[in-house]
Amino acid sequence: MSDPIIKLDNVHLSLTSRAGSVHILRGVSLAIPRGQTAAIVGPSGSGKTSLLMTMAGLERATSGEIVVSGRRIGPLSEDELAALRGAEMGIVFQSFHLVPTMTALENVALPMELAGDDRAFETARGLLDEVGLAARVDHFPAELSGGEQQRVALARALCRSPEIIFADEPTGNLDGRTGRQIIDLLFGLRQRRKATLVIVTHDDKLAAMADRVIRMADGSIVSDESTAAVLQAVSS
Amino acid sequence: MTVSALDAALPQRRAGPWTIVRLGLRELRNGFDGFRIFIACLALGVMVIAAVGALADALRAGLVTQGEVILGGDVMFARAHVRATPAEREVFERLGQVSETATLRTMARRVDGSDQALAELKGADSAYPLAGEVTLKSSGSFAQAIAGDGAVADAMLLERLGLKVGDKMRIGETEVTVGGILDSEPDAVADRMTYGPRIFVSLATLEKTGLDKPGTLIRWRYVVDLPDTAASSKQALADLRAQVARELPDGGFSSGDRFDPSPQITRVLERLRQFLILIGLASLLVGGVGIANAVSTFIDKRMKVIATLRSVGASGSQIMGIFLVQLAVMTAIGIAIGLALGVAAPSLIDALYGDLLPVRVDIEVSPQSLGIAALYGALISLLFALWPLGRAENVKASVLFRDSVNSPGGRPRPMLIGIMAALAALLVGVAVATSEPRSIALWVIAGLVVMLAVFGWLGGYLSRLAGRLPRPKRPGLALALRNIASPDGLTRSVLLSLGTGLSLLVAVGLANSSLVADLQERLPEEAPDYFLLDIPPADFDGLKDRMLQHVPGASLVEAPMLRGRIVALKGKPVEEMTFTPDTQWVMNSDRGLTYSETVPEGSTVSAGTWWAKDYNGPPLVSFEGEIAKKLGLGLGDSLTVNVLGRNIEAKVASLRDVKWESIALNFIMVFSPNTLKAAPHNLLATVRLPPGRASGAESEMVRDLGRVYPSVSAIRVRDAIDQFSKIFAKVMVAVQVAGSVTLTAGALVLAGALVTAQRRRILEAVILKTIGARRRQILEVHAWEYALLALIAALVAIVLGSAVAWVAVTRVMELEYVFSLRSVGFSLGVAAAMIAVFGGCGTWAILRARPAPYLRSE
Repeated sequence: MSDPIIKLDNVHLSLTSRAGSVHILRGVSLAIPRGQTAAIVGPSGSGKTSLLMTMAGLERATSGEIVVSGRRIGPLSEDELAALRGAEMGIVFQSFHLVPTMTALENVALPMELAGDDRAFETARGLLDEVGLAARVDHFPAELSGGEQQRVALARALCRSPEIIFADEPTGNLDGRTGRQIIDLLFGLRQRRKATLVIVTHDDKLAAMADRVIRMADGSIVSDESTAAVLQAVSS
Repeated sequence: MTVSALDAALPQRRAGPWTIVRLGLRELRNGFDGFRIFIACLALGVMVIAAVGALADALRAGLVTQGEVILGGDVMFARAHVRATPAEREVFERLGQVSETATLRTMARRVDGSDQALAELKGADSAYPLAGEVTLKSSGSFAQAIAGDGAVADAMLLERLGLKVGDKMRIGETEVTVGGILDSEPDAVADRMTYGPRIFVSLATLEKTGLDKPGTLIRWRYVVDLPDTAASSKQALADLRAQVARELPDGGFSSGDRFDPSPQITRVLERLRQFLILIGLASLLVGGVGIANAVSTFIDKRMKVIATLRSVGASGSQIMGIFLVQLAVMTAIGIAIGLALGVAAPSLIDALYGDLLPVRVDIEVSPQSLGIAALYGALISLLFALWPLGRAENVKASVLFRDSVNSPGGRPRPMLIGIMAALAALLVGVAVATSEPRSIALWVIAGLVVMLAVFGWLGGYLSRLAGRLPRPKRPGLALALRNIASPDGLTRSVLLSLGTGLSLLVAVGLANSSLVADLQERLPEEAPDYFLLDIPPADFDGLKDRMLQHVPGASLVEAPMLRGRIVALKGKPVEEMTFTPDTQWVMNSDRGLTYSETVPEGSTVSAGTWWAKDYNGPPLVSFEGEIAKKLGLGLGDSLTVNVLGRNIEAKVASLRDVKWESIALNFIMVFSPNTLKAAPHNLLATVRLPPGRASGAESEMVRDLGRVYPSVSAIRVRDAIDQFSKIFAKVMVAVQVAGSVTLTAGALVLAGALVTAQRRRILEAVILKTIGARRRQILEVHAWEYALLALIAALVAIVLGSAVAWVAVTRVMELEYVFSLRSVGFSLGVAAAMIAVFGGCGTWAILRARPAPYLRSE
């Protein structure tokens, strides 16, 4: 196996609320090789989204070590993490999270603009064309359907050619047909860019499209197998 | 994977400032949502400061453009007691056409002696007025009316004496015929503050009155109309005045020119401007709370956007920059609206109250006035917005994954706190530097900061306290306490906005009632009943005897009275020195002087020693201590005054504390008797009448004295106090109107807080309705909550406002503090009204809300 692009070693995550401390991740260790597609599955509250957030540096692990693209992210400041995400990660959310005051084109160009890329709008236009929204570039999020908004979010996630794509239930807010179109697009785009994809999902069919399925329960990984192995186990 | 590879460098390239500006402007597509209160708070404070500046500019411009008419010409020279000699007059005439007038205070009497009234007599030559014109209410011209033994008199005086045009009246030793009724006098403002109604006569008639005797308090005024008025610049006129001062070194003339025709009014305007700017600053500071609330709410609403920016790689400073651009735009809009309204104020005030202003306004606004208003607005906006804005940097991208979104907590980074401290220091610095005396601005700002801090702390404390109290049995009260305890409730906003505004209202109200009590109760008790002016020393004993015959037990205290001008301090001519505004008035014109063997009543020697009774050495003077300190004058320093056209140099032998409020015979300068005794002068006296005197005895005494001693003027102190009280009442109304601006700022903050909380409150009410609560029950919850908050805000405001008023009354005004239940009741009423109006409107909307849309959208 090549060097892992994401590596977690005994990662714990506790969050404090008014009711007290909640232990969300309990000693997770994991390595995801470059170019792999990995699906994280499990029941609600099992810690799937928290695991994804911790890998993307959106949540800080309480203990343990996380290495992404050759960098230990634990010691990085918020700004350094933001810079790392901007350069090497693309994130797709269940609720799209487009900036409502910006057009589709501006939303896609945003990460490149923040990075000082002079060709931001040119690249963004190309990406919107690639996701089939060439005719909708000047529309605001409120003027787009849910599927179209998620396409814009996909284009935004891929605009800086990230090595890793994190997707948190990208079809959760979409109907079945639109959801399948988005998944096909996501996997197709990833394939063309040879990027690593980590996807959180409740959808078994979607999980089956990944190289690997990581199953969570109560903050721990309870199984971690290649999809082939899972399918084989199911068929036998 | 090796360890060194783990910490490879992060990408460094970042967007430039223009990209951040572009992104910030893009975010503005969101519109003004949430910024209306922000803009209103800022615009209100800026408007007040700009309006004050614009009005002061307009009045100042009015003084300059109408300066020639107000002064009566281009340049003016004036002197007390002594008319200009032919040689002195020649110096003036060399400059241009000269007009001579003489003004003095005297009694105008009915010919039969049955009635008399104090008047300001002005003798004018045929050239008067050189600029503008004297208009009459009656027919005929001014020149015709004062020809021969004619006189033009104020309508009020004629009414008082029951006279009409054509009737005769007695002035001094002569009789004059009323030839016209005065309508307006062009140089009334510049010709000092007149006390009584005006009578104009010719200089020839003035001579016939016999009032112009050595020692009479008469002011001779020479106005020069230069041949080329337009060409004479401010500097040219100043040079001209200096040249005359050099040519007439012992003349003792005070001078003025058309660029500052009335230093007195200029000084009053400047004081008023500074005071009103502080009021504007107070409303800006209170409005700052609204600004902070608005930015805080805005950041809360934009949390998901901030988190999204974070997730796509934006750094904290980039996020800060993007929102700072929006803040700058909103600030610019608020300031622009404030400036526009402020600039319009002079025209509006002129249209509404033009008659009450001392001069006609000229709409001319200086960039400096607008600059100060804009600077205050920008500083307050940044100061109050940076804290909530700085917390935007603390927003984490993880909020995108969480349903519950709480306000970003924590402090902004230390650098931002440092910037805020620098902004606060700059704000205080600007306020203090532009105020005179500076300590007042410092006290006002310190007081406001304390008030904001007290109410801010109280809001937090009440929230915590309400959370800890045992749950009351009454459900409405229990829910109200829960609302008060809620961390994102209205408690802090209501207390801050209502409390600060009310505190100022209570302070102004109580200071007012203390002053009114002083004017209406203490002063009439302690003050003398009459001032008698211009008593020839030879007549004093006779006058005293005559008075005692009419009113046995009356007491007279007399003092020699001359007028003189300070021409040099420590040997240096005052023209070559600069003075602060609070000492300039001492130098502007002539001052009352006296001499005394002993320390005068109402004064105590604070430094140095009083001269011996038979002192006969070089001239000595005792100076008022506080003014001496401001002038830098100490014991042993020399002082030159010009009295009766002669320069007298005296050494400061002692400094005195003078109890000015006693309305006794108080003078800034008291000389050793040998200095002035030989100079012709009259006496000034106070008269105290015994209580329980026979009715009618007093008026008979005044009439009799008038008949026997026609040159003596009697001023009834009660009339003077009444007149002052009337002016004071108008000033206090103006102060209260200005103070209410702060309350308006508080109302805006309150409205903003209620609007912010409205959606959450509607949702709460909707949920209560769905589980069976009736409207009356929801209303009861709100009524309890608002009543409790308003009551606590008002009670604390009464305590704080009383403390501020106590300090102002006893320490600054040095008067007795009087607590007024009426003022306090008024403040409680305002609190109740404000909360009823704002809370009532909010609750009405809440009660009318239909549940379905809110439940669906959630």
